[in-house]
Amino acid sequence: MASARILAVDDSPTILEMIKAILLQGGYEVITAMDGAEALETARAEMPDLILLDVMLPKLDGYRVCRLLKFDQKYKGIPIIMLTAKTEEQAMATGIRTGANQYLTKPIEPERLLGAVAEELQKAQG
Amino acid sequence: MVNDGSSLSKDLTPEQFKRFRDYIHQHSGIYLEESKSDSLRISLITRATRFGFAALDDYFKLLSTDESEFNELMNLVTINETSFFRFPAQFEALRQFIVPEIVEAKPETQRSFRVWSAGCSTGEEPYSASMTLLDSGLEGLGYKLEVFGTDVSTNALERAKAGVYPSRALLNIPHSVATRFFEPTPEGHRVADRARRLVDFQFHNLIKEPYPLGLMGNWDVIFCRNVTIYFKLESTRRVVDNFFNSLNPGGYLFIGHSETLTSISDRFEPVEVGGVFLYRKPQQRHTSFARVVEQRRGESRRPLAKQTDAAVRVGRRDRVRSAPPGAIVDERTGVAEKADIPGLIVSARKASEEGRSKDVLKIVEDVLAVDPSNAEVYLLAAYSHADSGDLQTALEECKRSIVLDPLSAAAHYVLGIIYQRQSEPERALQEFRRTIYLDADFVLAHFNMANIHRAKGVKLEACRSYENALRSLYRTPEGEWTWFLGGFRPDLLAQTCERSLLECRKKA
Ligand SMILES: C[S@@+](CC[C@H](N)C(=O)[O-])C[C@H]1O[C@@H](n2cnc3c(N)ncnc32)[C@H](O)[C@@H]1O
Repeated sequence: MASARILAVDDSPTILEMIKAILLQGGYEVITAMDGAEALETARAEMPDLILLDVMLPKLDGYRVCRLLKFDQKYKGIPIIMLTAKTEEQAMATGIRTGANQYLTKPIEPERLLGAVAEELQKAQG
Repeated sequence: MVNDGSSLSKDLTPEQFKRFRDYIHQHSGIYLEESKSDSLRISLITRATRFGFAALDDYFKLLSTDESEFNELMNLVTINETSFFRFPAQFEALRQFIVPEIVEAKPETQRSFRVWSAGCSTGEEPYSASMTLLDSGLEGLGYKLEVFGTDVSTNALERAKAGVYPSRALLNIPHSVATRFFEPTPEGHRVADRARRLVDFQFHNLIKEPYPLGLMGNWDVIFCRNVTIYFKLESTRRVVDNFFNSLNPGGYLFIGHSETLTSISDRFEPVEVGGVFLYRKPQQRHTSFARVVEQRRGESRRPLAKQTDAAVRVGRRDRVRSAPPGAIVDERTGVAEKADIPGLIVSARKASEEGRSKDVLKIVEDVLAVDPSNAEVYLLAAYSHADSGDLQTALEECKRSIVLDPLSAAAHYVLGIIYQRQSEPERALQEFRRTIYLDADFVLAHFNMANIHRAKGVKLEACRSYENALRSLYRTPEGEWTWFLGGFRPDLLAQTCERSLLECRKKA
């Protein structure tokens, strides 16, 4: 089976490189985007198997990108993992939902990231 | 002169048409095309006959002096066509996307959600908005919901307030909505009290400026659908401008699905939500602190003015209340004391790590009020702005920081990152070189240089930089640069370098 294709989105080139390295190590194919608008466009054009989405993004923040995709019949099936700092997770507790499949809090550890990716991919297939 | 109307000429001459058209246009913004001449004629004759005028010119005299008669005529002229949940995708977008987005950005203390339906006709639109808000679950979170409907047609407003509709008005709405939000009465289907109590109606002419204060501000969403279609372009521009000013930052304007803001306003940001185009008022852009200080410098030639200004600015009550934890703020003046600055910077860094840009900027402002040449907080501001995508302001703050402290490796590194994100690799490389010149073991500068070289296809240079990064990393596994790792562990950076190095060597 072809390896899953993952869209990784982060505005920091440094962090994007590191996430990319982890995913490549996990045997995944990786495409990237650096802001919310680019993420949306790439997601729509490329139909990735999963999206790793940072919350703090220029142009459109991660929450909005997530909601826009989850709102759309065509894309709502793509699993989305949001990468957040602690306070953002607290913000989630206000009861407003983005429809993301999972939240990973920073600092991100490679094993945890790969674990979450594998889990969501499996769920999406099953 | 007064007769039973039988002698009223039933013709509307082109001159008369123009006269009425221009008057209506001037006073309501509605511009009637030639093709509407006949329907205008019928409306005019209906009204003129009622007063027994022998000539339409006589009716014009009344019309131009009597505002209530003008409103009567407008009731006939405007077309009040509307329906519940007209273009349902917009209401779906409101419930599922707009409401959560706006609420999330609102400060904890501001628990209200306000919708204005401008040109609400007989009320279907504001009631639909009310039902949508009720279904969004906001009330459960303690939000106060308000919907306001305005129109120029007093007839339409009467019917809107009555809120009783014939069966055919409910034909196209989901059964569950019909059963939950309407109750049958002998007169028709009455909007249930729970949906009704959010809604208020008022007469308002969108063309008449200035708008009453109550309308000018604090709206989260404005509907103005299928209203401006008869307006002249210039009037529409003014109306849309007023909407822009009345919306909260981040608020949305809903227009008819066949309408567009192209060539009307470029102040809004078009957003596509599941096939629906909506218009968002952008969140405010920041002015750089560097620029504010420049301005203050200018003012300081009038020393007194500067002092009061600063005191007023920092001394505001809300500023005192919002002071970050750890800051000691003088009760009387609200000004932070110089000795607290290190503590403030620690909390700013923590806020920055946790992505709380707003808090960072607040602390920066507090520090600069006491110490306007603190290079470190300028750098923190730069980093925060870059984080929220405002690269231009970030650049200004960062340059300011470098002017104040030219030997800061971190400041050159941040400048490099900003250039990198602005797609200026050469400038970025130069700043990373400067960073390394100031701190040879600034691992991330080596790492980002390597990435830029690799992207340019300069494999040998890339390999060298990855090697340098690894060497520095082993030498000094922790340094000023670790802070910029965004919560990732340095060993992950080592793995990334090793992996990239292997790849580059393969291809080189
Ligand atoms: C076709 S209806 C649209 C109703 C509703 N917004 C919808 O889309 O279903 C147009 C409404 O705009 C109102 N209108 C026209 N000119 C106006 C003005 N200058 N100020 C306020 N309302 C106006 C009319 O009275 C009419 O009720």
